[in-house]
Amino acid sequence: MTALDVPPTKPRKPNSRKRSAEAWSWAFMRLSGLALVFLALVHFSITHIVNDVVDTDYDFVLDRWHNPAWRLFDWLLLVLALGHGVNGLRWIVDDYVRRPGPRKAVKGVLYSLTAVLVVVGTLTILAFPTRPR
Amino acid sequence: MSPASTRYKGKSGQWAFLGHRITGFLVFLFLLLHIVDVSLLRWPATYDQVHRLYGNVMLRLFEVGLLFALVFHTFNGLRIVAVDLFPDAVRNQRRLFQAVIAITLLMGIPGGIVILWPFIDGHLL
Repeated sequence: MTALDVPPTKPRKPNSRKRSAEAWSWAFMRLSGLALVFLALVHFSITHIVNDVVDTDYDFVLDRWHNPAWRLFDWLLLVLALGHGVNGLRWIVDDYVRRPGPRKAVKGVLYSLTAVLVVVGTLTILAFPTRPR
Repeated sequence: MSPASTRYKGKSGQWAFLGHRITGFLVFLFLLLHIVDVSLLRWPATYDQVHRLYGNVMLRLFEVGLLFALVFHTFNGLRIVAVDLFPDAVRNQRRLFQAVIAITLLMGIPGGIVILWPFIDGHLL
């Protein structure tokens, strides 16, 4: 029986709360993606093209993070990139891990890892000294 | 896992889909590594020591790969947004995908040369 053979009288309605969560997820991917075009490409250009990667050492960060606007820039990049990535991986897991048990387990690991990295990244930015050493 | 779940109609759409997944996954993996290495800023000397590794030829090649993945994912993502906003764009979808490939090469190759320059120049081996 293919999908087309299903009688049209009783269409299966997806759970409306779940559907609206997926609509938000869809919108988040577009909006975060558009923001990341700017954030990620500027970040990569500064750290690999404009400056050579070996020059972006501790002192480089000290200079750059002296300006809170760059800390905000980097924090937005951190949070949006992780959010965008984790949501994309959630879709991938749904596609490839079909059994409910393993799916839950894989997502559990994925979400925990992401949560830890948001905390580690945020602390790295916040705890960094403002004044030169 | 059922193969039907991710099978598509083939051709450029299939490649765009596959490329988007693979590059997204790879960039995410790099992001995990990168958050950990930046967290070493707490210990300046250790940070500098680890960070110096990124200047190594092997890691420079890896950075070139990251650039290609990032640029492809960015512009393929913009293609997806464009098709969402203007459904008629589907009619030109092959052309759009070719543009994504072209931009990836146009940004990736010069960028890759800049990243590998110290090596090409003979400064580094």
